[in-house]
Amino acid sequence: MRALGPGSISSFLKSVLDIVWVLLLVSLVILSAGLLYGVLAAFNPDMPFAGRIRFDGLDRLQAWAVVLVRMLTALLFVAGFLLVVSRLRDIFATLKAGDPFHPENVNRLRVVALGLAWLELVRYAVWVLGALLPPQAAPDRPNLSLAAWFSVLVVVVLAEVFREGARLRRESELTI
Amino acid sequence: MPVRIQLDRLLVERRMSLAELADRTGVSADNLAILKAGEARALRFSTLDALCRELDCHPGDLLGWEPDSPPVG
Repeated sequence: MRALGPGSISSFLKSVLDIVWVLLLVSLVILSAGLLYGVLAAFNPDMPFAGRIRFDGLDRLQAWAVVLVRMLTALLFVAGFLLVVSRLRDIFATLKAGDPFHPENVNRLRVVALGLAWLELVRYAVWVLGALLPPQAAPDRPNLSLAAWFSVLVVVVLAEVFREGARLRRESELTI
Repeated sequence: MPVRIQLDRLLVERRMSLAELADRTGVSADNLAILKAGEARALRFSTLDALCRELDCHPGDLLGWEPDSPPVG
């Protein structure tokens, strides 16, 4: 099976990424709405479901704080994934068209690297934010994921490889 | 780039159009236009050979060199 062009593996992966992108977008909308509702419900006990959030040993406001921090965490993760998947879709669209060294792919790969770094940083930020929560609801300390940072560096290097590829393509186009 | 292709002058001297040259050499008219406009980054020996053959000239007649103008200020 071919790797590039219509009907290739890239084309199949582009379709998968399209589906994932839609799912992430829907999740982002639901989480944003949920977060907004949670903030309002935390301060207004008369709203529907406002009194139903309970955790052992926590009062109503503390319980809502736990829920809101978890929703915010999920929102930040989904936003990061959405950014990465969105740029991967654009990259795979060029692969599907059989044009891997499209000049825009360099910036897209850089954004993917930033997105991966963002996802890793969110893990640490959540842990720091967890210090504000009651001890029984605080998240565990995250491990330093060398694989994640290695991936970030690999994508940064790949972006440079694509930049060189785009330059060579341009040179080739202007060689008569 | 200080290297210039003197295609305009040679075409006028040979009373040949760009389309005709493209037809004779097998180099596309688009590529010849890029060459003529001085936008090409490199020239293949095979292209140079075809141009020299059809224009009945030497590579030196086709290529010219002008020093870059020094930066102002």
